[in-house]
Formats: sequence, C-alpha cells, structure tokens
Amino acid sequence: MTQPLYILSACAISAQHTYDATRFLDPVLSVNDGKLFMIDADYARYISPVAIRRMSRMLKAGITAGMKCLEDAGVKTPDGIIIGSARGSVTDMQNFLKDMINMKEEALTPTAFIQSTYNSVNGWLAMMTKCTSYNQTYVHRGFSLELCLLDAQLMLAETTEKKYLLAGGFDELTDEYYIIRDKIGYYKKQMPESQALLNHYDTPGSIGGEGASFFTVTNDADKASCAIHGLQMLLQPTSEALQAAMADMLSQNGLKNEDIDVLVCGMNGDSRNHFLVDPLIATCADKTTIATFKQFSGEYDTASGFGLWLVNYLFVHSCIPTETVYKQGTSDEINNVLLCNITISGDATLVLVKRNSLAG
Amino acid sequence: MAERVVVTAVGIISALGMGKDAHVAAIRNRQSGVKAVMHLKSLHSAEFVLGEIDKSNDDLASLMGLPTGDNGYTRTTLLSLAAMKDLLEHVDISVLHNEPFAFINANTVGGMSKMEDIYMDVISPDNDEQNNKYINTLDCAESTENVAAHYGLKPLMATISTACSSSSNSLLLGARMIKQGVVKRAVCGGGDALSRFTLNGFNSLKNVDKQLCQPFDQNRGGLNLGEAAGFCLLESESAAKARGANIIAVLSGYANTNDAYHPTAPSPTGEGACRTMQQALDMAKLAPGDIGYINAHGTATQNNDLAEGLAIQKLFGPNPPAFSSTKPYTGHTLAAAGVIEAIFSMWAMEEQMIIPNLNFETPMEELTIKPATALKENEPVNHVLSNSFGFGGSNVSLVFSKA
Repeated sequence: MTQPLYILSACAISAQHTYDATRFLDPVLSVNDGKLFMIDADYARYISPVAIRRMSRMLKAGITAGMKCLEDAGVKTPDGIIIGSARGSVTDMQNFLKDMINMKEEALTPTAFIQSTYNSVNGWLAMMTKCTSYNQTYVHRGFSLELCLLDAQLMLAETTEKKYLLAGGFDELTDEYYIIRDKIGYYKKQMPESQALLNHYDTPGSIGGEGASFFTVTNDADKASCAIHGLQMLLQPTSEALQAAMADMLSQNGLKNEDIDVLVCGMNGDSRNHFLVDPLIATCADKTTIATFKQFSGEYDTASGFGLWLVNYLFVHSCIPTETVYKQGTSDEINNVLLCNITISGDATLVLVKRNSLAG
Repeated sequence: MAERVVVTAVGIISALGMGKDAHVAAIRNRQSGVKAVMHLKSLHSAEFVLGEIDKSNDDLASLMGLPTGDNGYTRTTLLSLAAMKDLLEHVDISVLHNEPFAFINANTVGGMSKMEDIYMDVISPDNDEQNNKYINTLDCAESTENVAAHYGLKPLMATISTACSSSSNSLLLGARMIKQGVVKRAVCGGGDALSRFTLNGFNSLKNVDKQLCQPFDQNRGGLNLGEAAGFCLLESESAAKARGANIIAVLSGYANTNDAYHPTAPSPTGEGACRTMQQALDMAKLAPGDIGYINAHGTATQNNDLAEGLAIQKLFGPNPPAFSSTKPYTGHTLAAAGVIEAIFSMWAMEEQMIIPNLNFETPMEELTIKPATALKENEPVNHVLSNSFGFGGSNVSLVFSKA
C-alpha cells in the first residue's frame, strides 16, 4: 500500500459487548447451540420510529453500527460509504423468497424485496448522513470487507484533501441459513460451548456468527490511533503462499516477524484449516502475542470486521484482553499488529495495522 | 498524472444474441429481443414479455463444453461464462496469464435463478444431497470464482452489487485499480439471469410493463426485465500499446454518486443524475456539447425517466445530444445493464451511429426533449455517455472517448 489508511473510529454490533466497548468480554457471552447471534443495540437512537417498524434486524444493526461509528469520529457526512456483505439481509431474502413460493407469486409486498438488495444499508446510511458522494457495495464472500478497505485506500490516494470514508461489513445468521450452511460442512456436528471453540480443533466445521463492524477511515493522520499499512486477499492459498504473502507484506514495511507485537488470528476451529494456521503460529516470534476472536464472534463471511474492531481496540486501550490471548508473547508494546483471517473455504486475508505515530 | 485507461476487448450475451455482429445487426434492424417467455418458469410467464436469451441452460453448458443437466452451474454463471468466452475470442488468454490482473464481476441475486426452484428442499433439515452443490451459488461471488476457475485464471477478484448500477461500478473500480497501479489490466462487467424472485419483486413494486417498454414516453408503463452478461477488458494505455492491442475506446470519465433521497426512487428533480453526469464529464475534461450520444438508463418506469429526462435537460439544455435507452432491445438486465450499455455506447462510437429508442410515441409532458427514434449512420460520435441508476440511490455515469 502506498499510503496508510488511518482508522479514526470503530463500532461493532456483535454477539459480545462491542457496541458498548466499556463492557467488552465482561462477561464473555457463550452459547452451546453453535449460533452466536448479535446483541441488539439501541437502534431507535438513530432510526425513526416510522422507518424502524419495517426494517429487518440486519438493516437496523448495519445502519446503527455505521451511524455510531461516524458519531464517534465526529463526522456528520462522510465523503463516501463503502460496505461489504457476502449475503446482505438474509432474513429479507428468505422472507420474500418463501412468500413468493407459498403465495404462488401473488399479492406480494415489496418491502422484503427492496431490503434484500445488497446495497440497502448503503442507501439508508447515505440518506441518513446526506452523503451524496461515492457509494459502493462489495459482495465477495470472505473478501467483502477487505475490498472495502482496498477501495477506500485507493480512493484516498487520488486526493490530497482530507477525506473521511465510512467503511464496514455485515453479515447475518438465521436459523434457516444455519441449516443451509450446515449441509455443506460449515458447522461442527458436536457443538462445543462457543467460548471453548478453539479447544475443538480436531473436528471439521466452526460455529455460526453474525455482526456489523464499521470504521471511519481517512487520510487524515491527526486523531487516529492506528493505520492500515498492508492488505492482502488470498484465494485458497497453500500454507507456503500465505507465509510468503506475510513475509512480503512485512518486508515492504521494513518489518520482521519479531516486530509483530500481536497476531490477531481469525482461526475458526475447523480442522481443515490446520495446514494454514499451524505454520502461521509456529513462525510467530517469542515476542508476539497471539489473540483470537472467533470463539467470541462466531464464523461469518465478514467476521474479519470483528477482528479489525479488536485490533483497533488494542491500540485505543493499549492492552490485550486476557480472554483473547491464545499465546502470551514477551513484547510489552503494541505497535505492530497483524490481522490474519481464515475462512471456512480456506481463503485468507492479511491486514497490517501500525500505531499512528503522527497522532496529534 | 495517471495513465489513460482504455478498452481493448468486449464480450457480451443478451436477448439479441452473442457477440458484436449479432447485436449491431439487431440494432440496425430495429429488432427487439423482448418477447414471450420461453424458459422462465413463473406463474406469470404468460402475462409478461422478457428480454430472455434464447439459449437454454443446456445450450449454454454445451457452448462452454460443460456437462448438461444438473451440473452445478446456475444460469447466472453460465451467462457470465458465455460473455467471457466471447471476450476471449478477441484477446489471447495468455495476456491474462502473464501479468497480474483484476476480475471484477457484478450481479444482483447470485444464483437465485436456480435457488428459487430448490429452496424449500434446501431449508429442510432432511439432507437432500442432490441440491447441496447449489448451496454456495447463493453467494454473488460464486459466478466470479467459477468463471475465473473455468479459464484457469488467478486474478485479484471482486464482486459488486449495487442493484442496477452494479456492472458500471465494476468498470469504475477496474479503472481505479489500473490508474493506481494495482494491476495493468482488469476484466470488468457483470451478469444477471432472469429469476422469478426479481420478476415478482419488480412486479410487487408495480413497475413492470406487460407490453413492450416505452422509455421516455408519456404513456410509459414500466420496465421489461431481461438477462445478459458482459465484460470489458480495461488496460492502461501503455500496457495495451505494448502488446499492440486494438483500442476500442478510452474510458475517459466516470462518477459514482448517491441520491441520498429514497430507498428505491430517484430524486424527482433529477438532481442526483445530473450531478453524476457532470462529475463524469469533469473527469473527462469535456463540455456537455462534446458528447455525441447518450445511452440513457431509461428503464421506462415513471420515476426513472422523469428524473433522468430532467437531468439530461438541465445539464445539456434544450438541444441535447442524441439520447436513447437500449432497454427496449434487451430488457432491463439489472446488474448487467451498466456494462452492456457501456458496450453499446462504444459501438455507437465505433460504428458512428445513433441507436434509436424503440417504442417511442408521445413526448413526456414534463420534458421539452425527446429521445432519438431514427437510426442514424455516419454521425460524428467522438464521446459517449452511459448512465446507470439503481436502488439505494446509486448513480453511475461513464464517459468513453475515441482513442
């Protein structure tokens, strides 16, 4: 990446207390049925009573996380809205589809159809923030959020003006969607307590999750606590390719393995991903603390958004919550953090985040 | 100063056929691909006309050398494969193997055309393994990854879904990646197959015309849906010249804005559409008078044509360049509309012709301008503008110029 993408604020609605970050993992919320649903936030704070009545849960969560994120950054109208979601509002899609089938294509109402459109959260956020500038929606499975970050970085590289973009990702879990994905091996057959997910690395599948994670990203170094300096998307890489991409990213930034203070690892407890995760952990220096998050977020296509939210949390709070620590490293600083996400289908993404030394 | 981005090859399949010759011949004959339904198994099939592609799924599979029948490919993917096959008739695939490139695809509902037929079985906890191979086709990214895999390509991939502006956004992202030096080349576009889901969706919004659609007509009654797929090969000018490629057009300007007005309807004054076209012209460093032809979004819905007509009138004045909607030829092909209409616009420039707006009878009361209705040949068309507007207030305009 040619220029850093500064993170000015982050907001996540997830299965943990992230919307109110003062309560993060206090307590850890855990389930034993493999379905980590989001905790509802105060949606009515941002969405009018008239609008909220017709909105599905994902729409409300996406809009609220986006609005709160901008509010935390002190940005009223962003210079662009870029959102990733592999599946959009699943509830709306399945409701319209089932109505169509059950009602034999008669007397259908359009609300669910409209809301199932992948860019409906984009449209609402544009309306609510009066953002008439750039608006984009990426729908590429486990790369959806990362493509937003790439686009944001490219867009900001085109200008010398200070610009503030809202970038984020969301995906929804429903009981029905769980059944569907369970049929193709997404979830464990013997479901552990979700917080103990990573102790069950010997069986295939993961646990279901959902969430909305938003970031105010900017080329303005003034107030951001951290910035993204590297970004890689790897389609079903070999372990060697993942290692090479990581080494390449570090060397481009003048860093070595031992300069990584924290590896935030999106391992998902799926035995089929051992071949990627094990060498990654083995190459970590003694200094590096490994933190994990999917036992808290569950697995979903834009779960890396929870991971990036956690990365930002580490920089803002200058501490690593003990519940997330998979391996304690010797470094007592948090300057360089690498986020590595690994999906059920074996795709991987790397995001290098460094402390912002230019913060005013 | 960033390099110019050029288009060096296109691939297309729509209700007019496959490839340039079939399309240009149909346009010259004022021949529409919108007709009675052959393949879509909707309970409303007999009531509507659609821009449906003649080829069945088996025909498309055979064309691609794939097994016919229950082969795991949805119509969305088959159409995208066919468009890529057409593109590769015009460029050696080694060009895409030799250097890093991006593949940017778009669609609105992934493999819904298949999923809607099997959904009740798919959500039943009783395992019916027969359908499991289609489960991942629910993802919009499925066709993107399948097309790349079919041709053994390993590009930087992205899939976009911004409703009816989706594939215009593919071209925009490709251009941005090339200008920023992320890649030298990008295959950009999108594809959507007809589905009962979208037909019933638009029908529930009461904006589907059961007759042939009439863009920019006072008595327009809504859109006809269609299906299509299209791709453009974008390259940096130096990369194109280095391999001696034929340059079809320069992508000289583009803009993406949002109405921030309503979830489905455009701002009625056309303010958003006007701003988008203006920004695209600004990037191309062109004045409105430089544009020789506008391929309008022109869905023939009440809202779109009023907003877009007012926007064209506002920006281009009482005597705008020739403009037409090509949706009467293809139907509204949703995510594919942006790229196939961009391709039509480039052909208007290549062939120096004005594409007539079919089915137009009565000018709109609110407008003083009306679309081009006669085919004109040997017209000086040096710059073209192509509009795509979608749900969620999403507006994209593209400007192409002669090389």
